Amino acid sequence: MQTKTKSDRFIWIDIMVTLLTLELMDYFYYGVRAAVLGSVCAAASVAAEMICLRLMHRKFTADDLTSVSDALILSLMLPAVFDLKIAALACVFAVVAAKNIFGGRLNMIFSPAAAAYVFLYTSWKNQLLMFPEPHVRTGVFEKATNLVSSASHSFNITGKMDVTDFEILLGNVSGPAGAVSILLLAVAAVVLLFRRSISAGAFIGSVSATVLLALIVPASVTRAASVKYTLVTNMVLFASVYIVADRRIAPKRDYYAFFYGFFLAAFSYILVITTAKENAIVLVSLLFTPVALGFKNLEKHIELTQLAEQEAAADAEAAELTADGEEAAADE
Amino acid sequence: MNKKKTAVFDGLLGDNTVLSSLMVISPVIMCGNTLENAIALIYAFSAITFFAVLLGSFVPRRLPYAAKIIINAVIASVVYIPVKSVAREFFPEVITNVGIYFPLLAVNSLIVVQSETRFYRMRRLSMTASLVFYILGFDAVMIVTAFIRELFAYGTIAGRLVDADTLISGLGLPFGGFIFLGLLCGLYRKLRSMSGRGGETGGDGNVSGN
Amino acid sequence: MFLVTELVTLLATNLILTQALGTSTLFIAAGNKKNLLWTAITITVFTSVGSGAAYIVNALLPDGLADLTLLFYTLIIGAIYVLLLTALYFAGSDSFETTRKYVHVSAFNCAVMGTLFTITDRADAYPPLNTFINFVLSGAEAGTGFILAAFILTAAYRKLNSAKVPASFRGFPAMLVYLGLISMAVYALR
Repeated sequence: MQTKTKSDRFIWIDIMVTLLTLELMDYFYYGVRAAVLGSVCAAASVAAEMICLRLMHRKFTADDLTSVSDALILSLMLPAVFDLKIAALACVFAVVAAKNIFGGRLNMIFSPAAAAYVFLYTSWKNQLLMFPEPHVRTGVFEKATNLVSSASHSFNITGKMDVTDFEILLGNVSGPAGAVSILLLAVAAVVLLFRRSISAGAFIGSVSATVLLALIVPASVTRAASVKYTLVTNMVLFASVYIVADRRIAPKRDYYAFFYGFFLAAFSYILVITTAKENAIVLVSLLFTPVALGFKNLEKHIELTQLAEQEAAADAEAAELTADGEEAAADE
Repeated sequence: MNKKKTAVFDGLLGDNTVLSSLMVISPVIMCGNTLENAIALIYAFSAITFFAVLLGSFVPRRLPYAAKIIINAVIASVVYIPVKSVAREFFPEVITNVGIYFPLLAVNSLIVVQSETRFYRMRRLSMTASLVFYILGFDAVMIVTAFIRELFAYGTIAGRLVDADTLISGLGLPFGGFIFLGLLCGLYRKLRSMSGRGGETGGDGNVSGN
Repeated sequence: MFLVTELVTLLATNLILTQALGTSTLFIAAGNKKNLLWTAITITVFTSVGSGAAYIVNALLPDGLADLTLLFYTLIIGAIYVLLLTALYFAGSDSFETTRKYVHVSAFNCAVMGTLFTITDRADAYPPLNTFINFVLSGAEAGTGFILAAFILTAAYRKLNSAKVPASFRGFPAMLVYLGLISMAVYALR
């Protein structure tokens, strides 16, 4: 039990380190406003978490700081100039409606960040999908002007991207800063995979489905461009690391997690090419929650069956030994 | 005597139609997003349920269960006709907004299921009083839900603009209704358990139809 | 690709997730896998046969008597109710006690009646849909949507009723919020 708590805390630290790196990149591109957005989200989440735990007569412990990582995941999916009040509201929604109503971190059903993102998507879609250009600084209380649609949006519509690969790698394109810094995301993915802080099965499943479908049904002129651009747009990589491969949500066994990630990414890819739905993977991840739960139920069922079989085998062995002992005693 | 009295009033708070038994929740979720809709639905629900259950109490008890259910539903469908005519006069626009949820009130659980399992087992006078409180229970939830959802989703109260700078438009949509009703239901249970009326888990656990 | 599009359509037109029709019936059904399957099948029978009959009623009922639609729909459902109970009785009087409860639960509820009205509304808005076959198929689709929603709820049933969920929210309130969040995702994808 103690080992599990320890490992959960290490996972959280790993994820926080990678998220803070992305936040730093966000700050580099959009200035102090981006940092304030992240801080407001984190503060709102912690406050909401504390109140919820108090209402549930539970103590706030270091483990409950997972709400901070969820808040940072959300803030990295938002435009840097997003309304602070609405962002805080989304964080409260995530902590209350998507997490603590179901029992909090002990009984996770939804990814809080994904739920909060969809919540924003349904009520403030226009504000959510309009971004400042990189290197355009906006004051903390200033109203942003000259917003543009994301590079993902233009790719979904035209199948092309008018930026160099180098710029894509560095995230120097319009979009949610955390989700477009591809190089950093790739490094984060590798680190988290090696440290087993994310579900390898779900991550590999998600990426392989995207690559496979991008090859079979290209979204761009060439297959190579299709693979390259579909992986870097629509928050595919970001969501694959922090939402789809979230260990709290994805099935435990890599085998099932792979199929969960695979189907989820395949579904969202098809949505992107048929409806040009921006960031479909985040929306679909919420919809696929019952699939993850179904796989988890199956895992539990298999575990119980295996346990019952082991117990039956142990009982049979014990009975055999007793019978042998009795036989030996009778022989004597 | 006290227990009997409580049973009669139960429908309003102790065993609220919507929050405890989760009956008639679809109109609340779908149409309980403006006070205008709420008032029209309250009128229709109250009139149809009251007269249908009252008239249904004259159906012989000896009949098979299925026959009684069908007769109750038919009575409600007949009561619906004049209720709709009146509504057309007073709420012409709302009828269009509410759409299919208006006729669906005629097959609500209070008429179809609860009438047989609860109301018709009571004496007619107690039944009438209890029925009134069950109806008021629905009305109260509908008003509260519609008021809050309209205010935060559209920034209006009964169609009049109020000064609200952050609107959550999703609250006016069906999913907003689901989430809001879930939260309200939890709050209701918490208050009920604090007042010492039954456990927190599951109301009476008697979800029935609709 | 076709399957994904169909699945999205099925979700986007789902009576429970988008119109909250039959939510309470779903809550009853999700409590037990056997109940779930039989209730869903019975509801599908009601919606499919009922929709076919609703088409005939719509065709025969004069426009001036539109207010009688509900009464006729009620009579249709009543007739199917009786026929189904009779069929079950003659099919196996031993199991009748068990099977009839599914018919009782499925007959008069918003899922069934709402389906008939929704299909009629859609046909009124788009006349090419006003065919007998389309009514029956739409009824069957509504039933399938109910089954899908029931599976969505069943997947989380254990977690929603877990002792870890705060007592005030355990069970139905948690189910409502859960369905709300799924419904929100469906809305976002529409």
